Amino acid sequence: MPYFTEAQARSIIRETYESAKGEDRCVAQALYTLQELSGLPEGAVMLAFGVGNPVRHAGLSPGDVVLDVGCGAGIDTLLAASRVGPNGRALGLDMTPRMLELAAHHAASAGFANVDVHEGLMEALPFADASVDVVVSNGVLNLSTRKSRALAEMHRVLRPGGRVCLADLVLSENLPEEIVKNPTALVA
Amino acid sequence: MLRKKFFNVGFVGVDVADRAPFGLTALARYPLFPPEFVDFVRAVVPADRHDTLVYSVVLTARNPIVREGGS
Repeated sequence: MPYFTEAQARSIIRETYESAKGEDRCVAQALYTLQELSGLPEGAVMLAFGVGNPVRHAGLSPGDVVLDVGCGAGIDTLLAASRVGPNGRALGLDMTPRMLELAAHHAASAGFANVDVHEGLMEALPFADASVDVVVSNGVLNLSTRKSRALAEMHRVLRPGGRVCLADLVLSENLPEEIVKNPTALVA
Repeated sequence: MLRKKFFNVGFVGVDVADRAPFGLTALARYPLFPPEFVDFVRAVVPADRHDTLVYSVVLTARNPIVREGGS
């Protein structure tokens, strides 16, 4: 039984990410190579809050349309934009206006003309059916109280034969209840 | 469990591309988690799980091109 309603969870997550500050490059350096990080805006690197490197495993090709669900400040969106090139598009989606502003700013400052950012929820993606070649997401699905709904939306927007590549945290055994019901743990 | 959710919504070819333990050291890197929260987790979780609180995984899957496996 969930400890938080959908509205409570969304409020906690939005509040956390609206005020999140990037303090160093520790997270990014643990997940990405120096080569991947080179040329990216420092703000995108400092605000990397993912848990893996889905773009590395997504098999992106030049010309692909890729959607980054829960793009945050944009690090994976920019890495994807670099791989799909000027004939492709990288779409960043997030529910937090501040993160979207940062992602758009980072894309512009790095000179990516093939990036668009969109405000929305992963459970109701604002994209047409079969309009995307690849979906990536990094540490975001766990934030949803309706994970199957979010996955169904990714399935809907992907073209036939399209791919999804998600990084996330999974339990091998349960954590103590005190942690699971702690609001701070919710953002992981 | 997560893999099953992928299959249930219609994805095929679900695979684990990467899997790594995620413990207290990794948790402490994130400014989303204040030091007092990390200390709280350290106090509540048995010491033998401090290096493997959870696993970080990368899952890949694809949409079927047609009704793969169907008639």
